[in-house]
Amino acid sequence: MRLIPYLIYLILIAMHQVFLQDMTSIAGVRIDLAGLIVMAIALYKSEVITLWFGLVAGVVWAAGMPDAFGWYGLLLALVGVTAFHLREKLNLESFYSKILFMLGGLVVHSMGMTIIEGGDGVMTRLWTNALPDGVYTTIVALIFLLFKDGVITYQKFKSIF
Amino acid sequence: MNWISSLFFRYWRNVHFSAVVVVSVILILNYPAINGLISQAAIGSFYYPFAKLKNLVVRLSSVDRENEMLRQSLVDASVRLSRLDEAERENLRLRAVLGFEPPTGYTLMPAQVLSISGGRIPTAAVINRGEHDSVYVNQPVINRDGLIGRISSVTADFATVQLLTDPVNRVAVRVADSREMGIAKYTSHGMILDNFPIQGDIATGQQIVSSGLGGVYPAGLIVGTVTEVERPAEAAFSNVDIAPAANFNSLEELFLLRPGGS
Repeated sequence: MRLIPYLIYLILIAMHQVFLQDMTSIAGVRIDLAGLIVMAIALYKSEVITLWFGLVAGVVWAAGMPDAFGWYGLLLALVGVTAFHLREKLNLESFYSKILFMLGGLVVHSMGMTIIEGGDGVMTRLWTNALPDGVYTTIVALIFLLFKDGVITYQKFKSIF
Repeated sequence: MNWISSLFFRYWRNVHFSAVVVVSVILILNYPAINGLISQAAIGSFYYPFAKLKNLVVRLSSVDRENEMLRQSLVDASVRLSRLDEAERENLRLRAVLGFEPPTGYTLMPAQVLSISGGRIPTAAVINRGEHDSVYVNQPVINRDGLIGRISSVTADFATVQLLTDPVNRVAVRVADSREMGIAKYTSHGMILDNFPIQGDIATGQQIVSSGLGGVYPAGLIVGTVTEVERPAEAAFSNVDIAPAANFNSLEELFLLRPGGS
């Protein structure tokens, strides 16, 4: 297992936490980058990688909250491994099925994070925060999958001009 | 040993899963030593460079904002400074005006010039006094230097002063020393003393004052100073040039003469 790409993913998550999150948020709706990367790994990599990377990504994502990052790590690992097993059971050849798969995983992860955050109005925030976050991140996932599945390639892009 | 490794490989997925769960549970139990160390390591290695970069960007943008603010306050300060300069000049002018005495039988009503009209030489000025201040047509207007003109029209709050520089405005004057009389008027060559007899007693540097005979201006108001006297041969009148006492290009505070008072 090559570690470099996963380190880069972790650096990306940290970078997103520090400033990309504010720059990319629209009316308080944010991209769940950690969830997106773990879902992508669940889609394309092995169970063990998904499991461990989910845990580490959750811990890195919540590094500033030492009393809660265990929950975030466990949540992300569970979402990742569940996604992996679903991928094994389901036929995810279709582009749209991948998108739906991503949407499901990201919404569940956002909801899980909202529940871990706790506080007043958790049920409300599931709809007002978690669901929009999941949908927004799915749009980013859509762009990622378009590149990953070769629907958009550099050559195609270049041929426009 | 062999059986352990075969057991591990048979159930490796469960082993990994269990390990992840155990690690998570340890983290959830929140042992300060472990969690603190992990938190510090993660923040130090992943977050610190970006946090540093962000701080730099924030500092740069705040410097930019501060720069903009300072530039704005510099403009404000220079505007205030020029206002203070103006106030200082006004203060000096008003100090000079403070000891200014009206002619006997008149009181002074101060007025501020609002606008000046005319060509190269101003011929009329609008002041901030009108009917509400009992201003009337033909009321004499002076400043601390001398006679300025008379009121030519009045509205409720404003009045127009016909300046001595208006060619149609003539003043009955006399030479302050010799008491000889003439008419002061403004021409394209400047102020002159019209109809002054050739044998009249007049010399350069003598003061010209209003005679009070025209019925508009009271006697004794300084009109100007004789700058040149020319007595052409075989002419009935002298050519006398006068330098007006007042500077009509810098009119600001004026005084209207109101009959009454000591």
